[in-house]
Amino acid sequence: MRIRVTYLGRSYQQAASLPEDFELPSEATVKDALAAVNSALDEHPLPESCLVTIAGEHLGSITSYTDRPLQEGDELMLIAPVAGG
Amino acid sequence: MTDDRNSHHPTLAEPLQLTPEELERYDRQLGPGVLSEAGQLRLKQATALVTRVGGMGGPAAQMLAMAGVGTVIIAHGGEMISPDLNRQVLGSEQVLGKPRAPEFAAYLRTMNRLIEVEAVDHEPDDEEARRLARRCDIVLSCPPTFTERLRLNRAAVEAGIPLIDAAQWGMTGTLIVVKPGETACLQCVYPVEPPFEELFPVVGAISCATGALAALEAVKILSGTGDPLFGQLLTYDGFVGRPSVVKLRRNPSCPVCAHC
Ligand SMILES: [Zn+2]
Repeated sequence: MRIRVTYLGRSYQQAASLPEDFELPSEATVKDALAAVNSALDEHPLPESCLVTIAGEHLGSITSYTDRPLQEGDELMLIAPVAGG
Repeated sequence: MTDDRNSHHPTLAEPLQLTPEELERYDRQLGPGVLSEAGQLRLKQATALVTRVGGMGGPAAQMLAMAGVGTVIIAHGGEMISPDLNRQVLGSEQVLGKPRAPEFAAYLRTMNRLIEVEAVDHEPDDEEARRLARRCDIVLSCPPTFTERLRLNRAAVEAGIPLIDAAQWGMTGTLIVVKPGETACLQCVYPVEPPFEELFPVVGAISCATGALAALEAVKILSGTGDPLFGQLLTYDGFVGRPSVVKLRRNPSCPVCAHC
């Protein structure tokens, strides 16, 4: 199955090399997708506080999220918390 | 120090209605698709706390003041420095080296003499944040650290008033709108405080846009207009030009909001 991965928020430039789409096994879950993303990020793994969202639903952060099966065409959006001022 | 110099509010003995001058001032935001006169009156009776008033909080406070929020309290410590001037719209070349809060408040007063502006010249600690939140109808959280944001969240949840968290990094802006007891609060979203980056990069246009959107949500909530983004995270990835909305999950065992 193919899913879309989007990374935004703090240090988004570190994820500039991420492919837009990831090909995953048909039974893959969010956990598998995160492992694939981290593997692709290599030098800069996802920050622990990064929010994990799928298809517009917030599942938690990298350290604590509710895993769930993925569906073809899902968008995994990863949001590194920003503050700024 | 709290600076509360101008006082144009009606006293309790005066009738609660919009004056002809206010009706003229707010004429372009009254009518179908915008605010009703009753909504504008609710704004007049409202108090909003904005902390801090730099890149995001500045334009947010300005839009609240110009929209006619009766009392706008701004909090910001320190003196204005040159790198502030790529985004801090309440300042100017003339304010460099001067304390931000009173100068910014003075500027806001030049934008609308029909409201009150109070200046707090430091970032409130836990107790002061609580005290301020109890006086307010809404809190706009725009500081650079998560410590301050989570503090404002606790104060707002405890006071039972909405909180709008506006944040930015580089060309990205995010907005979280909290309704205590009904939606996720900031602590639900950030159970572990994310790291602080003192010299974060930022382009003024994104901070201004994010602050303006925070003010729009506040105007909607305070006036009872439209559908606020309660319980949602709005992001704008300005680097690629893409907005998104995420529905936030409430933590049933959140130490801040679980019992409200
Ligand atoms: Zn909470």
